[in-house]
Amino acid sequence: MSANINTSAQGKRARKIPHTDEHRPKFIHQLANGGAETWLSAIIFGFGSFVNGQIIKGLLYLASEVGFILFYLTFGWGYVKDLLTLGTVQQGWVFNEAIGIDELAAGQNSMLILLYSVLTIATLVPLFMIWRNSVKSSYLAHERKLAGIKQPTFLKDVKTLLDLRYHMTLMSLPLITLTLFTALPIIFMVAIAFTNFDATHQPPGKLFTWVGLTNFRNIFFDNPKYKNSFGGILTWTFIWAIFATVTNYLLGMILALMINKQGIKLKKLWRTCFVITIAVPQFVSLMLVSRMFADTGIVNETLKNWNWIKDPIKFLTDPTLARIMVVIINMWVGVPYTMLMTTGILMNIPADLYESANIDGATAYRQFVSITLPYMLFVTGPYLITTFVGNINNFNVIYLLTSGGPLNQNYYQAGDTDLLVTWLYKLTVDRSDYNLASAIGIIIFVIVAAFSLLAYNFTGSVKKEDQFS
Amino acid sequence: MKNLRKIVSVVLACVLMMSAVSALADKVTLKVWGSNDDQKVLGELIEEFKAANPDTEWDISLGVVGEPDARARYQEDPAAAADVFAFANDQLIDLVNSGALRRITLNLDQIAAANTAGSIESATLDGTLYGYPKSADNGYFMYYDKSVFTEEDVKTLDGMLKKANEAGKKVFMDLSNGWYIASFFLGAGGQLTVDENGKQVCDFNNANGLAAAEAIKAFAADPAFLTGDDSVLVGMFGTTIAAGVSGTWNATVIAEKLGENYAACALPTFTCGGEQVPMASFIGTKVVGVNSQTAAPLQAFQLAEFITNEAAQVKFFEQRELGPTNIAAASNPAVLENIALAALSAQGVNGVSQKLVLGGYWTPAEAFGLAMENKSTEDLQSLLDKMVAQIVE
Repeated sequence: MSANINTSAQGKRARKIPHTDEHRPKFIHQLANGGAETWLSAIIFGFGSFVNGQIIKGLLYLASEVGFILFYLTFGWGYVKDLLTLGTVQQGWVFNEAIGIDELAAGQNSMLILLYSVLTIATLVPLFMIWRNSVKSSYLAHERKLAGIKQPTFLKDVKTLLDLRYHMTLMSLPLITLTLFTALPIIFMVAIAFTNFDATHQPPGKLFTWVGLTNFRNIFFDNPKYKNSFGGILTWTFIWAIFATVTNYLLGMILALMINKQGIKLKKLWRTCFVITIAVPQFVSLMLVSRMFADTGIVNETLKNWNWIKDPIKFLTDPTLARIMVVIINMWVGVPYTMLMTTGILMNIPADLYESANIDGATAYRQFVSITLPYMLFVTGPYLITTFVGNINNFNVIYLLTSGGPLNQNYYQAGDTDLLVTWLYKLTVDRSDYNLASAIGIIIFVIVAAFSLLAYNFTGSVKKEDQFS
Repeated sequence: MKNLRKIVSVVLACVLMMSAVSALADKVTLKVWGSNDDQKVLGELIEEFKAANPDTEWDISLGVVGEPDARARYQEDPAAAADVFAFANDQLIDLVNSGALRRITLNLDQIAAANTAGSIESATLDGTLYGYPKSADNGYFMYYDKSVFTEEDVKTLDGMLKKANEAGKKVFMDLSNGWYIASFFLGAGGQLTVDENGKQVCDFNNANGLAAAEAIKAFAADPAFLTGDDSVLVGMFGTTIAAGVSGTWNATVIAEKLGENYAACALPTFTCGGEQVPMASFIGTKVVGVNSQTAAPLQAFQLAEFITNEAAQVKFFEQRELGPTNIAAASNPAVLENIALAALSAQGVNGVSQKLVLGGYWTPAEAFGLAMENKSTEDLQSLLDKMVAQIVE
């Protein structure tokens, strides 16, 4: 009985047109074996489906082809044709005697040419997919016809979206939005790094064009102003990221250890006290602190009133002091987070390790260095990397506290506490040097990506994934 | 039955006529940008404008973009920017270079005649007028406390500092700000202009500039010197601060703080290479321009002219104490009696147009001012050379 069911099932499967991935023939194979209608389907989308009785499916393929062609003719080509030059016609004016004002002879807009060209070129991907599917469905329809199987109705095809091809239904929306709102803008902005879209080439009055690697050459070699600024700011960015990460991590952990220590009373109260700093929005506390430590802020004024100082301490306007201050203030903002996170992990360290250490007479410091720290580093390795990378791009703390200041005379539009990312912000918003900012953005990405990959592969959590102890 | 048909035909005719009428008077949509403080006055002016032009159906929206931010916000998306927007005239070159502004061709003679020559010049580039002057208040002068300084004291910076030190008070000036610190360099005869290629020219590192820098250094090192931003000035005027360099926008608050001791005058002279030289100042105007990308240029011109005419400027003066550029509005007795505006116009003799200052000037000048405030021990000449190298690009 059971054998009977088996054979019949197998028989069905054997007759069925291969539908799953492992059986799918290659594209060439489909063209070669799909009959004349498949060849035609590569030119007239949906032709094969249409002649094999899948009318609606065929029409949809055809409609999308027509839609794409219309899109390219009426919209896309108008921009893509100028992609190589990014436009040649500047905006001009023609005086109209009758009404006494100028008439605008609209010029081309390099930015829109670049933007819509990227969009148009990106539409080639869905076009290719539809073309590929048109050939494939024609081939499958042809095979079904040869095998004498009834073609599935359109409704049935649609129903597979809820069943066999449910993953497509689920994934299509995120994929489309991700492409439109993340991938395309990134491509557009990467492209700007290879143009001269700066303060003196602003639309609508001026065009900009491709300049190859000039921006990168300027940053690294040719332009001493950019070179000095970049070198100095990059160094400080790393110093900052290291200090900000390490101090927060260690202090947060020590704080958690202290609160967790046996014999400490009111643990919950202490913990709540520190967590309250999280409840106040970060930018509010940062702005307040920046006012507090200003030359005429409350700290300096109080110290003056107590006659401790005569001149204000330049907390945020002296280069070295400002750098120290941002690291310290960042501790205050960041330590509670580390404390919260480490509290949980610290409780997980097996207590017997500490017991035996106690018996062996190990000091508290020894226990921390030999038990707590290795354990924590093992568990939180990836967390440390993300924090480090986050600190490289820690816009909020720097911008809200010092705005990158105090300004440095050797830097181009930047100050001593500026990170690459805040410098980038100033270049775009204050100076409209989009090309330079975009090039810096790419460089930041390369640095961060390379560092993350390297560091991640060296962490204990990855190398000794299986020996969690 | 016949009645019904009549009714239907009448209704249909009405509908047809209405649609025809609305099609004739097609709606004019305009967007206006003004500073946050100006919103109330602008809103009133727009209503008056609509009432004065009832033949057109208007859809005028008002957005908050302050004059200092106009260029940056415009360049974000020229097509989505306001049709009519106010900007500080130091952005004129950048805006004209990026093709942002329509030149003004209508009623040119009337506008030129109605406004002060200086304000027209401030909105003119290469002989072409690019905007309607709105207010002449973008400048600074000295506010002081009459109970601390006499009229004689405020004539020289040295005299002021001496008096302030005796009284244990401060003289406020935001030296770490390119706008204010230029006062010394320009007073010493420094040049900040634009060459024929549109590049910034700056000679603040010559002998005159060095003399000015020495004076700045001495001022910053004086115990009576105090720096900070507007909040510091406003917060401490009358208590710690006895005199401060600022502009008309702080007039109301400072007048309130000082009460009957409130006074203002032109900037004092400073010791430059052993001589007394008057401190100069940037004189800027606020200008209303018309976006080159506007769909309704004629109406945009009409509106821009309306919100900068005599009546509008009087309104701006009454509600905001902005100094008029309109000659008739400026001769209004209330304007003439205004202490702050009188000081501003007295300072006008040593005013330097801010039009020829490009965007690249501010940050390096601020960095230099900061070095002075921080009592940098670096060689002054090399600091000046660095600043100028950054400015001239």
